[in-house]
Amino acid sequence: MFLTITEFIGRFHVLLVHLPIGFLLIGLLLQWLSVHEKYQISKEVIKVIIFCGMIAAVFSCITGYLLSLSGDYNESLLGWHMWMGISVASISFLLFARLISGRLDIWYKVLSVALLIVIFITGHLGGSLTHGSDYLTGPLSDEPDSVVIVRKIIPDIQEANVYADVIQPMLQTRCYTCHSNKKQKNNLRLDSPDWILKGGKNGPVLDANPEESKMLKRILLPREDDDHMPPKQKPQFTEKQIALIHWWIDQGADFNKKVKDLQQPQLIQPYLLALQSDHLEKKAIPIIPTEPVEKADEKSLQPLIDKGAIIIPVSKSSNYLMANFVSAINITGKDIKLLLPVKKQLAWLKLNDTNVGDSALSVVGQCTNLTLLQLNNTKITDKGLGLIKNLNKLQSISLVGTKVTGKGVLQLQSIKGLQSIYLYKTAANKNDWPALKKAFPKTEIDSGGYIVPLLATDTTLVKTPKSVK
Amino acid sequence: MTQKELHLQRLVKEANEKAFQLNSRRHFIKESAMGLGAVALGSLLHSCGLGSSSMNNNNNIVFDPAHPLEPKLPMFPGKAKSVIYLHMAGAPSQLELFDYKPDLMKLDGQDCPQSLLEGKRFAFIRGVPKMLGPQAAFSQHGESRAWISENMPHLSTVADEITFLKACTTNQFNHAPAQLMVQTGSPRLGRPSLGSWTTYGLGTENQNLPGFVVLTSGGRFPDAGKSIWGSGFLPSVYQGVQCRSEGDPVLFIKDPNGMDRDLRKASIDAINEVNQQEYKEFKDPEILSRIAQYEMAYKMQISVPDVMNINNEPDYIHEMYGTQPNKACFANNILLARKLVEKGVRFVQLFDWGWDSHGTSASTAVDVGLINKCREVDKSITALILDLKQRGLLDETLIVWGGEFGRTPMMENREGKPNPFKGRDHHVGAFTIWMAGGGIKKGYSHGETDEIGYSPVSGAVTPFDVQATILNQLGFDHEKFTYNFQGRPYRLTDVSGKVIDEIIA
Repeated sequence: MFLTITEFIGRFHVLLVHLPIGFLLIGLLLQWLSVHEKYQISKEVIKVIIFCGMIAAVFSCITGYLLSLSGDYNESLLGWHMWMGISVASISFLLFARLISGRLDIWYKVLSVALLIVIFITGHLGGSLTHGSDYLTGPLSDEPDSVVIVRKIIPDIQEANVYADVIQPMLQTRCYTCHSNKKQKNNLRLDSPDWILKGGKNGPVLDANPEESKMLKRILLPREDDDHMPPKQKPQFTEKQIALIHWWIDQGADFNKKVKDLQQPQLIQPYLLALQSDHLEKKAIPIIPTEPVEKADEKSLQPLIDKGAIIIPVSKSSNYLMANFVSAINITGKDIKLLLPVKKQLAWLKLNDTNVGDSALSVVGQCTNLTLLQLNNTKITDKGLGLIKNLNKLQSISLVGTKVTGKGVLQLQSIKGLQSIYLYKTAANKNDWPALKKAFPKTEIDSGGYIVPLLATDTTLVKTPKSVK
Repeated sequence: MTQKELHLQRLVKEANEKAFQLNSRRHFIKESAMGLGAVALGSLLHSCGLGSSSMNNNNNIVFDPAHPLEPKLPMFPGKAKSVIYLHMAGAPSQLELFDYKPDLMKLDGQDCPQSLLEGKRFAFIRGVPKMLGPQAAFSQHGESRAWISENMPHLSTVADEITFLKACTTNQFNHAPAQLMVQTGSPRLGRPSLGSWTTYGLGTENQNLPGFVVLTSGGRFPDAGKSIWGSGFLPSVYQGVQCRSEGDPVLFIKDPNGMDRDLRKASIDAINEVNQQEYKEFKDPEILSRIAQYEMAYKMQISVPDVMNINNEPDYIHEMYGTQPNKACFANNILLARKLVEKGVRFVQLFDWGWDSHGTSASTAVDVGLINKCREVDKSITALILDLKQRGLLDETLIVWGGEFGRTPMMENREGKPNPFKGRDHHVGAFTIWMAGGGIKKGYSHGETDEIGYSPVSGAVTPFDVQATILNQLGFDHEKFTYNFQGRPYRLTDVSGKVIDEIIA
């Protein structure tokens, strides 16, 4: 009970500290301004202000000490803050004594400068304590907010480490702001297995029974409850995340095991699968290669651009290029050779409706970073497809309205990441289908030819309301 | 040395000393303190996102009045390259199309509970209206088990390509402001439309066609008039180009009899030369826009008749879309939209008027007129999705379908008396918009409404959220995509909007 009352009083520190800062600064300011005749102020006024500042500083020190007893703060920083705070109070006391006695000598000036400096230092340390030491400089540094973490790629969830790959990333985003090396609210740290096992002021956070584990218990408390974690104004765990934490504790809260070593109830399986990276990317449509590439030399492209081709980076932040020849359909295979200097940068290429044929594909075949290739209504044939079979990053290829056959398309079999092939109005026919399906088990092959049947209702009108039910 | 020379020498010496004084240590420190301070302040402000526009050029779109529609780079690689926005003007009833509410049937004919009416304003409902059950049978379709009514038999077959936003809300219950809200992000006139923002930010890939084409059908313009495809405060070159689906697609596109191409070219060159001189004198960028427009018009004379002519499409495509040759109709517009997108047009905006099902006459009854409107659009919209898909274009074309608000679960009682036919009043609380292609999830439904489809219970979205999502798919962060006007940066979503992450594939 004693502790809670002191803590209650201690919390006024955060409010009180602003008084000595304000009083003393305005006191010093007025003192220095008084040098000018224009701002001459009665010494008595300054005395009153400095006195108020002194008293406020003393009270701040007392409440500050009480607050520090709660132990939620970084100790080394706290020590400095405490002694600096005490210095503020003492210096203001000395200053006041000199004011009273009227000895405004050189020492008086030194004291007032010292007071100013000490106030700034104390204030800064206090700010670092409450907001974290990187609060002030955070926006200036280029480093991303340390709480934001790059999501690790998990190729196979079963092989992933249950703590490091599943649990820790969740704790990192939801708990580390207050329970890590930056801050240790309630003396609890959650940023390493040892700290988690050690627990906090209120004892261990884990228990063999998930329902009894403080960590989960607090997460599951109603959001309005004061003991609910994360605090109600902070981002909360999702239901899936809570289910995963529950499952982890239930399985013994192990820090080293792999996911496959643990039992996986049916409820958990989809949540785990969702963490697997290819699970997320399976549906993603052609986007740019992930490896960085140097800036393209765009000078050589000028003749193509003069003919109406659009060749620009895919975005402001990327050096990869997209090329679209929709306004330059008269280009020839020879013109396409001009793309060679940017063969590494070219990611999306659209040659729809142009006159190009197989000769152009010998150039295209060298653009190894292509992810999207559209050749609709061009003169290419099976021979040309043989020239692009090494485009290993290709995700989508459109061959609509060309003469390619099923056999020709089979040449692309070695491209593993191919997600879609569009074969509408090509020479590939029904007989090719079984072979294509077998060769491209994961690829969506669209042969088109969809029919929207004409229904009787399409051309008739309803005149009166349907009979009442 | 003469007196004069001596005097001059002294003057030079004095001047030199003065100059040295300017370079004293004290002066150096004094001067640099100010300079350093300014540099520090600049970098501080910059890190707060307040730097001057030249400093964060990254997000600024450079407007080149001589080449206003040249393709420009998005902020990040966008999944969608073009947008086809199908706006059903008048606001279709979600309760007869996509939002299946069996419980509403049980309340059919009963008085509306007072709790639903308190504090609410409606466009026409007065007093206590009766509840009106769904006037169409629903069933589930596709692997996604999407509920779609019998009014859309064709669309039901492609349910697995679509994401439904079932809990859309807005704050405008009259057509014109609500349409402006959806299309320009403000219920009042003067803001640029979605298509204008898009072409302003991205330009367009086909330099021989307009970047933003508008096609209307249904016999009337949308209530908000042409300003819903206007360019607002953006340069006027970004406004939508309205084309016709019968006769000449663009009026006066053909050269007059007796004028050949060379003469036309010569006259346009002459006009442009005069305009150039005008520009040199007044430096008004709109003059450069005008020159660019003349040049584009000349190029369009060649390309437009070809692209805009749907008659050269094969018969099976016409059958697929259910077009009506040589008539102005929605199906023709849809087919045209596909052709335009295929040719690299950035934004195609369709408006179809006639979805305002109040029940004041048979043609506005939810069990007569609404069904007929559905029959006008159902086949062609389905054909559009499938046709883009088979051409490999659906992945990069975002299709958006929706009205400006929803319709009430109550039957309209204009002037307090029941309407002669079954109809529903305007409703801001809940309506359905759907999207397909362009990197949006396939076979998905986001958001739910309560048992009677009156208010959202989860996943509520606003027009701003939809706009933010469309911009996101095109490669723009809607919060950074701004245009400086009247002393402040404006954005499409103003101060709101959140990308609907849940629906992005």
